[in-house]
Amino acid sequence: MNYSPAKIIKFVLLVCLLALFFWLASILQSTVTILIISFLIAYILDPLASYFERKWLNRMGATVVVFLFIAVIIGAIFSFLLPPVLREIQVINNNLGTESSMESFQKIELTIRSYLPFISPESLNIREWISRILDTTFSSIISIIGSVVSIVTTMVIIPFAVFFLLKDGRKMKKAFVSLIPNRYFEMVLNIMHKTDEQLGGYLRGQFFDAAIVGILATIAMWILGVPYYSLIGIFAGLSNMIPYVGPLVGGAAGVSVVFFTNGDSQLILLVIGAFVIIQLLDNVLIQPLVVARSVNLHPLLIIFVVIIGGQFFGILGMLLAVPATGVLKVLLLEFYNGFRKYKLL
Amino acid sequence: MTEDPLWSNIFKRQKTEKEDIFTVMRKVPIFSSLDSKELRAVEHILHHRTYEQDEVIFKQGEPGLGMYIIESGSVRIALGEKQKLLALLSRGDFFGEMALLLEAPRTAGAVAAAPTKLLGFFQPDLFDLMSARPETGNKVLIRLSQMIAERLKQTSIENQHLRTKLNELEDKSAHRKKIS
Repeated sequence: MNYSPAKIIKFVLLVCLLALFFWLASILQSTVTILIISFLIAYILDPLASYFERKWLNRMGATVVVFLFIAVIIGAIFSFLLPPVLREIQVINNNLGTESSMESFQKIELTIRSYLPFISPESLNIREWISRILDTTFSSIISIIGSVVSIVTTMVIIPFAVFFLLKDGRKMKKAFVSLIPNRYFEMVLNIMHKTDEQLGGYLRGQFFDAAIVGILATIAMWILGVPYYSLIGIFAGLSNMIPYVGPLVGGAAGVSVVFFTNGDSQLILLVIGAFVIIQLLDNVLIQPLVVARSVNLHPLLIIFVVIIGGQFFGILGMLLAVPATGVLKVLLLEFYNGFRKYKLL
Repeated sequence: MTEDPLWSNIFKRQKTEKEDIFTVMRKVPIFSSLDSKELRAVEHILHHRTYEQDEVIFKQGEPGLGMYIIESGSVRIALGEKQKLLALLSRGDFFGEMALLLEAPRTAGAVAAAPTKLLGFFQPDLFDLMSARPETGNKVLIRLSQMIAERLKQTSIENQHLRTKLNELEDKSAHRKKIS
């Protein structure tokens, strides 16, 4: 390949620009987080707005209808789901310190040590282990919702940004494309279109699949009378985003709660049965209907990204590692293919 | 009330520019069945691009994504490394429309022959139009299909003529061989 000085200068400039971009993004981390969250929400909601637009409204009207619709759902979540979730977290935290739970943890530890005598008592402190998991989960949820700037600011800015991204998204895209030099603009438009085709189906599919599995798990646990049913449901929905191990982890959470709270073996079997049925429904019915596209990640890659996600961002990082890698894979592939097709590589 | 010359000029100029674009768009067969409201909706999604003289619009062999309409100026369509001139297009003409349906490499290159303003209409825009305004999108798609079918018919007729001529030539050469 021929590397002329002009090409090298262009490449160095591009690298400098990218470095500047990432440096700015790291400085403005909280703003960038808000922007990414708003963009994702608007992106997921876009087909809904387009649907209303297609039926009888202009874009502004369609955006308002979508917002009213979402406001009702969020209102319902806040009034029905959030209080029991917070109460359940509080109850778990309180219960961890009680004498009866100490006793049951000691019993479990003794049973494990009788089967696996090589495990030292110091390394098998289940109570501390669970307490740590709860703390990191709770703090990562809080850090996502809360510490970005402040809860109130986030709650105002995100809907505001989502509204305008949804209403003027097409105009913004067109304005962005108009800034691209003539030589590259068709290529950029093509890459944007291909990425949108791949990612739209994948992200929306993941979101709706997780939501449906979460709702089904919550209902099933509520019917079976399992305590902390809403927390188990949310966890099952989120963990479902991790292929292979996710559904197992969701089911394991339900089983462990029953095991630690009353230990009823019949209820444990019923919980396992409920999760097996939910998984069957997910694989046979929900996924083929909802998940339009998969990004085909290798199992080995999935394991590594889940570990990396966990190392950097805790449990939430583990749950979101797979969709984030899917997004990254599509972006890199489409850019690479685009550059090759236009003979820029 | 007297008219403010500065503001009235700005608005008049914008209005005239828009009218110019609509006039150009009406000349393009794929937009010919659209009414004024639909034309305005399509105009919103078109990409406005400005080219210097001799600036490359696209090269032969590059992936094609859509068509261009000449708003002002002129465009050279050329073939091969020697840039053999196929056509010199001017205001109201359009090129690259096949790429709206088929994402294939461009069969020829396009270069601005003078300072040129183009309106770009691409496959993603057509899909967006069909999703947001199916009626308008369908009208455009039907006109595009009719145009391509017409061209196919024309090519078939030319092909038939060429075949007949070829057969005649083959017959003649066979006849000559027999005589000699």
